[in-house]
Amino acid sequence: MYFLIWIKKHALFCIGAVLLLILLAITFAGPYLPFVDRELSKITYILNEDKKPVIPPYPPSEDYLFGTDKSGRDLLSLIILGAKETILLVACITVLRYALAIPLSFLAHKKWMGTHLPLKWLNGLLSYIPTIIIVMLLAMLPPFLLTEYRPLFLLLIIGLAEMPRAAEMIKLEFDQISSKEYIYGGIAAGASPSRLFRTYYLPFLFSKLLVYMVTDLGKVMFLLGQLGFVGIFISQDLVQSMGGDWQLVNNSISWPMMLMKAFEDIRGPIWIPFFPAFAMTCAILTFNIIAQGLKSFFTKKVRYI
Amino acid sequence: MLHSILKSAAVFLLILIGFILILLLPREQEITVFSAFHVEADYPFSFELYKERIQDFTDYILTEKGLGDARSGRPVSEESGIFVMRSIKIILPAFMVSMLLGTLMGALQFYRRKKFTGKLQNFLSWLFSSVPDFFLFIAIQYLLILMMQHGLPHFKLYGHENWYSFLLPLISLSVFPFLHMSRFTSAALENEMGEEYVRTTYAKGLGDFKALLHMLWNCWTPILNQAQLVMLYILSSLPIIEKLAGYNGAGKELLFSISSNDEIKALSLMLPFLFIMFITIIFSQIVKFWLVPKGRS
Repeated sequence: MYFLIWIKKHALFCIGAVLLLILLAITFAGPYLPFVDRELSKITYILNEDKKPVIPPYPPSEDYLFGTDKSGRDLLSLIILGAKETILLVACITVLRYALAIPLSFLAHKKWMGTHLPLKWLNGLLSYIPTIIIVMLLAMLPPFLLTEYRPLFLLLIIGLAEMPRAAEMIKLEFDQISSKEYIYGGIAAGASPSRLFRTYYLPFLFSKLLVYMVTDLGKVMFLLGQLGFVGIFISQDLVQSMGGDWQLVNNSISWPMMLMKAFEDIRGPIWIPFFPAFAMTCAILTFNIIAQGLKSFFTKKVRYI
Repeated sequence: MLHSILKSAAVFLLILIGFILILLLPREQEITVFSAFHVEADYPFSFELYKERIQDFTDYILTEKGLGDARSGRPVSEESGIFVMRSIKIILPAFMVSMLLGTLMGALQFYRRKKFTGKLQNFLSWLFSSVPDFFLFIAIQYLLILMMQHGLPHFKLYGHENWYSFLLPLISLSVFPFLHMSRFTSAALENEMGEEYVRTTYAKGLGDFKALLHMLWNCWTPILNQAQLVMLYILSSLPIIEKLAGYNGAGKELLFSISSNDEIKALSLMLPFLFIMFITIIFSQIVKFWLVPKGRS
């Protein structure tokens, strides 16, 4: 009975948790489902009723629930197999972003060696120029193009692009908590800085940080989608073509990759960009529901202290 | 007032210089041909080269007295002007819809917050704000294509030639900022609920609607602070949506010029965008100055 009341109280959080479980199940157990083609076999052509060859892509049908891509691979299998890489990338970028933002925001809050000034400037720059343009300009720089660590650098660039914004938000939280009475109480009682941080700041910050991070998962997914349209992606190799010039070649099956030719596909086999974008939308929705659920979960908890 | 405008102008100039410096980082490819079968491409990247490029750029601007001619032979500014005008047709309505209708919608939602319709609206607006605009665009396209196959009259879905071409990009671009504004306004009004003057309004027996007007007048500051964010969001998504729609505006052209290393063109298209951001900031400052009662910051 109590359990039911608890579920009703935190309905959003529970819905979010269930959706997340479904997402994780698809990510990790999905590839072993019977209708998933793990080999991603390609089809050159299929003979129709008149014995005429028809080349892929094929529209969604009973054989292919989501249709196929241009080389005849089943889109549903592609999306399920690509989920792991996509979710992992999004999580990596978000964790990286906050791993840098949290210490930086603390230093900026303390105004240590003028850290707060560059942070302010970076935020000014980023509030003028769209993130995607910045990432595009930096991702195509030669030092990041030619290294074998390109994926790592790109993770860094995408993580750093919105890092100042996150740091600024956390800094505001720090500022707000610092002006509270009980902090003075802690200082007067002689708590050491580390203890202050652990027992005075962290319990209040922790919930906020968690909500920010989960919300950012959705934002990173959105940014990766946008970059997919532009054709910039994390796992790319630079390959010399026959003509002697270099081209970026993609060898990944993550969702943003399938959006790469979207502006061509949208005029014909529109299901190719539609379903990956749909998968991304579902993931973003899941993250947002959890974030909202966590928010209400924590506000209720804090109120009864 | 003047002081804050001057400060914004200084920030704008610094950001412009910062952007040009990022744009000029060496990214050119050097191809050396040894023989018919031996070609090597190299990307030189050094500080000297960077300095040289900055020098070349300033010389170019000074000698051409502007941005010079494009690869097509026409002046760059003239060519970019055409693209920018096309984009303005999307940017301005999207901004207006988000700021004005969004705020109105938020006030309405706050007004009905205890009724079932208000709760439903709250849920729906929250749900739809999780949908990325590019998916919205593709979904609308897909739906229209399917409907056309089942008897909807045919019209052109792509390009920029028809009078209605800008509608689809506009709709998919406006949804998120519109919902953001509506949710933000409703939250800002919620924050005002605890204030003394609201209680006074109710005590005078003025009723819900009058109280809402009082509260709205005190919410202008946070609402206007969102103007920059809304504009940034619109400008961020514009290139992608234009590219998907085949709408030849400044956003689509900007993506192309960046990927083809045409700095002058990229700058000529980015300048109006930065300037639009600047105007938005100045505009919201001036409106705040007129609307916000003195003594309340």
